[in-house]
Amino acid sequence: MTAAPFSFRLGRFCYLALNVAVVVFLLAPIAIVFVFAVNPTPYIQFPPVGVSLRWFQKFFSSRDFMNALQLSLEVAVMTTIAATLFGASAALALARGGLPGTRVITAIMLSPLMLPAILTGLALFQTYVLLDVGRPLWGLVLGHTLVSIPYVVRTTLAVLQNFDTRLEEAARNLGAGSLRTYFEVTLPLTKPGVMAGAVFAFIVSFDQFPVSLFLVSPGHETLPITLFNYLKFDLDGTIGAASVVSILLALLVVFGLDRTVGLRSYAKL
Amino acid sequence: MTENRLPLNRRQFLATTAAAGIGVIAAPHIARADAATLRITGWGGKWGQTMSSELIPAFEKEFKCKVETDTALPFLPKLQASSRSAPVYDVLHTNSNEQWAALEMGIVEAKIDAKQVPNIADVYPYAISDKIVGVCIFTSAIGLGMRTDKGYGKVSSWKDLWDRAYDGVRGGYVIPLNSLGQAFLMMSGALYGKGMTDLDAAYASMEKLKPIKLVDFTGTMEKMILSGELGIAVLHDSGILRYDDQKQPTAFVAPSEGVLALEQVLALTAGTKVRELANAYVNYMLSPSVQKTLAESVWYSPANSKVKLDDKYNDRLLTTPEKVAKLIQLDWKWYNARKDEIDARVNRIFRA
Amino acid sequence: MSAVRTGVTPIAWLIAPSALLFALFFFLPMGLMAMISLLTGNPVVQPHVTFTGKYYQRILSDPYYFEVIWTTLRIGLLTTVTALLVGYPLAHWMARIRGRTAYAVLMMTVLTPMLTGIVVRTFAWMALLSDKGAINQTLTGLGLISKPLPLMYNEFSIVLGLTHIYVPYMVLTLVGVIGRIDERLEHAAQNLGASPLRAFLEVTLPLSLPGILAGSLLVFALAISAYVTPILMGGFQIMTLPMLIYQQISSSFNVGFAAALGMVLLAISLVLVIAYNRILGLVSGQRDLQ
Repeated sequence: MTAAPFSFRLGRFCYLALNVAVVVFLLAPIAIVFVFAVNPTPYIQFPPVGVSLRWFQKFFSSRDFMNALQLSLEVAVMTTIAATLFGASAALALARGGLPGTRVITAIMLSPLMLPAILTGLALFQTYVLLDVGRPLWGLVLGHTLVSIPYVVRTTLAVLQNFDTRLEEAARNLGAGSLRTYFEVTLPLTKPGVMAGAVFAFIVSFDQFPVSLFLVSPGHETLPITLFNYLKFDLDGTIGAASVVSILLALLVVFGLDRTVGLRSYAKL
Repeated sequence: MTENRLPLNRRQFLATTAAAGIGVIAAPHIARADAATLRITGWGGKWGQTMSSELIPAFEKEFKCKVETDTALPFLPKLQASSRSAPVYDVLHTNSNEQWAALEMGIVEAKIDAKQVPNIADVYPYAISDKIVGVCIFTSAIGLGMRTDKGYGKVSSWKDLWDRAYDGVRGGYVIPLNSLGQAFLMMSGALYGKGMTDLDAAYASMEKLKPIKLVDFTGTMEKMILSGELGIAVLHDSGILRYDDQKQPTAFVAPSEGVLALEQVLALTAGTKVRELANAYVNYMLSPSVQKTLAESVWYSPANSKVKLDDKYNDRLLTTPEKVAKLIQLDWKWYNARKDEIDARVNRIFRA
Repeated sequence: MSAVRTGVTPIAWLIAPSALLFALFFFLPMGLMAMISLLTGNPVVQPHVTFTGKYYQRILSDPYYFEVIWTTLRIGLLTTVTALLVGYPLAHWMARIRGRTAYAVLMMTVLTPMLTGIVVRTFAWMALLSDKGAINQTLTGLGLISKPLPLMYNEFSIVLGLTHIYVPYMVLTLVGVIGRIDERLEHAAQNLGASPLRAFLEVTLPLSLPGILAGSLLVFALAISAYVTPILMGGFQIMTLPMLIYQQISSSFNVGFAAALGMVLLAISLVLVIAYNRILGLVSGQRDLQ
C-alpha cells in the first residue's frame, strides 16, 4: 500500500481535532466545577484565587449534604434494580412475546420520557394523596423507577431486536426447552443491553430533580434538591465539592460495572 | 467459562440487595417513636441552619414533640394538592402574597387566635394589620442594593434604577415568581402613575427598564451583586446587610419614596390536627429570645416590639415604631386577583 | 427459514408487572391530570368541581401560547441537531477505537457530564458564560473585547446547556448502532475505490440511520420537556412550555391550566413518536430500533 495521501491525512486530522473539541466541550464545565470546588471565594470568580479544601470540609461536615448523598445513592440503587427488573422483563415480552399492538405498548412504555417530569411528580403526588399514603420512600423510588424504565426498555429492546434469533432456534433444535433457552442463550446475550439500561437508570435516578421535588418527605431530601436549594440560598463552592464527590462516586460505580460486566460488549453485539 | 456462572451469581446478588433494600426502607419506620409531629415549612441557608441547629431542637425539647421541616420549595402547590382534612403542613411559613393566595384557596386560617398565642399582644401593628393573613413574624425592607466601588453617583430614589447609566448591570425579578418583583411592579405604578393600582403606568415603566437581568430568587440576586455581575438591583435590606461582616463593597439604599414590606408570615393550615402545638410554635417564633436570635442571624426586622437587638443590628433594622411606620404594606388580595393577566403581560414585556 | 410466530407466547406474561406498575402509577396519575385540565378544580381535594374547557380555550385563543410552543419546539430542534453534529463523530470514534482502556476512558468522558448532576452542571455553565465568568474574564483579560459578551440568558445558552446534557444520550445510542456496522463493509467500499469520506457517506451513514433517528427522538423528547436548564440558563426571558407549566404550578397555583399545557406537550410528543415510527419503517424496512 502506498503512503497515505495528504487529503487522507488532513481528513484524519480533522476527524481527530473534531473529536478532541467535542471532548473539551463535554469536560469544560466539569473542569470549572473542579476549579470552583477548590477556589476559596464564596461566589463565582474567575480567575480563581487559590486552592483550598474548605468546601470539601463544609460538604463532608454538613449533615444535610451527607444525608442527601446517602439517600440519593440508596434510591438510585433501588431504582436501578426495580427499573431493570420491570424494564428488561417488559422488553423481553415485547420482543419475543408476540403481543398484539407491540408498537403501541412500546410507545406507551417510553412515554414517561415525553412528559415534563414536574407534571409526573405532581401527578404522582396527587395519586398518593388519593391513595392516602403520604410521601413514603417507596413512593419516591416508584417515581424514579417510572422515569427510568423507558431507558432500560430502549436499550434491552435494541439488543433483543438485533441479535441473531437463529441462536435461540439452534438451542431449541438441539432439544432445550424455552425456559432453558431463555436462561442460557437469550439472557447472557441480552446482558449488555440490560446493563447499559441499568447504568442509565442509575444516572437518571441519581440526578432526578423534578419528580423528587414533590415526592421527598421533609428531612429526607435527595442530593439534587439539596443542591438546588443551596444554589438558591447560599451558592458557594460547596456545590463544587458536592459535585466532585458525586462524579468520583459515580465513576467508581461505572468503573465497577465495566470490570464485572464489560460495557464494551454492548457496542459489539 | 465465566458466562455460565453469571446468571446464578446475579440472582443471588439481586436477592440479597433486595433484602437489604427492604431493610433500609423498613428501618426508619420501626425506629421512629410515636411523638406528636408538627409539620412546618422553612427556608434554607442561614435561616435553616439556625433553626435546625438551635431553635427547633429547643422547641422539640420544650414541647416534647417532633418537628418536620420541608425545605423543598415550592410549598404552596404541595399544600394545595393535599387533602383539606389531612394537609401536608400544620403551619405554613411563606411570604405575604402566597399566604393571601392560600387564604383564597381556603387552606389557611385568616387570623391567629390571640388567646392561644399570647406573644401576639407585643407585635407592631403591621404584623396583624388587615393586609396580613395569620401573623407576620419578621419583615424586611425592599429597596435598592448597589455596589459602592463602581463610581455610581448618589442613589436616593426608586427612579434612579431607570438611569441609562445602569444598562447592563441592572437587576430585577421574574415578576410571576417573586414577591419582590410583584411589589416593585406595584411601586412603579405609584412612581409613574396614579398609584399602586395603576397597572398601565407600571407596564409602561417596565418597558423602559430594559435591558435588565432577571432572577427568580433573592439569593441569586445577592450573589450577582457580590460577584459584580450586577451594579444595582431591587433587593431587601437583609440581602445586603447579611454580608456585613465580610466588608463587601455593597450598600443598601432606602429610597425616598418609601420602602416596601417583605413579610415573613406564619399561618395555621385549615385542617391541622395539632392545633395546640401549631399555636405553641407560632408563639415560640414570636418570643423575644427566638426573635432576637433569628433577626441577628439573617438581619430580619423582628415583629415583636419588645425585642432588644444588639446595637449594630438595632441601628440598621426597623426596630422602632417610627421606622416601621415607613413600611409600605401591599394589597396582595388585589394583586392576586389580577395575577394571571399581570403575569401574561409581564411575560410578554420581558421576553428576550 | 425462521420459525413462524404463531401468536402470543408464554413469555408475553412478562409484561404483566410493568403493565400493572404503569396502570397504577402512570395512567392513573396522568388520567387525573387530564381530568383536572377539564375541571374547574382538583376533584381529589375539592368538593364541587364542574367541567370546563376554559384552559384549552385560553391556549387556543392567545397567540402568546403558540409562540411558547414554537419556542419549545425550536429549542428542541436546535438542541437535537447540535447534539447530533457533536455526538456522531465521538460515537464513531468510540465505536471504532481499539483498546479496552481507550474505550473505557472515552466512556467515562461521555458519562461524566451526565453524572455531574443537572444543578451543578448548569451552575458550571453560569460560571463559564456569565459576564463575570471564565470566558468573558479571559477574553477581557487578553484585551480581545471591551464589553462582556452576552453569552447567558438567551436562546444560545439554553441550547448550549441542553446540548451538553444530551450529547451523552446521543453518543450512547449511536455507539451501539455504529458498533454493529461491520467495518468490513467500509473496507470493501474503500477497496473498490471509494475515499474514506465517500465510504462513510454512502455506507456507514445510511446504515447508522436507525441509530440517528433513535438518538434524535430521545434527545428531542428530553429537550422539549426540560425546564431546570432553560430556567437557569435563560433567565425566564425565553419561555418554553415546561417553564410555563412550572410557573403555573409553583406561583400561579393554577393546576388546571398547567395540566392543560402538559396535555398539549404530551400530545405533541406522541405525534412525534408516531411520525418517527413511520419514518423509521420507511427507512429501515421492517426493523424497529427504539
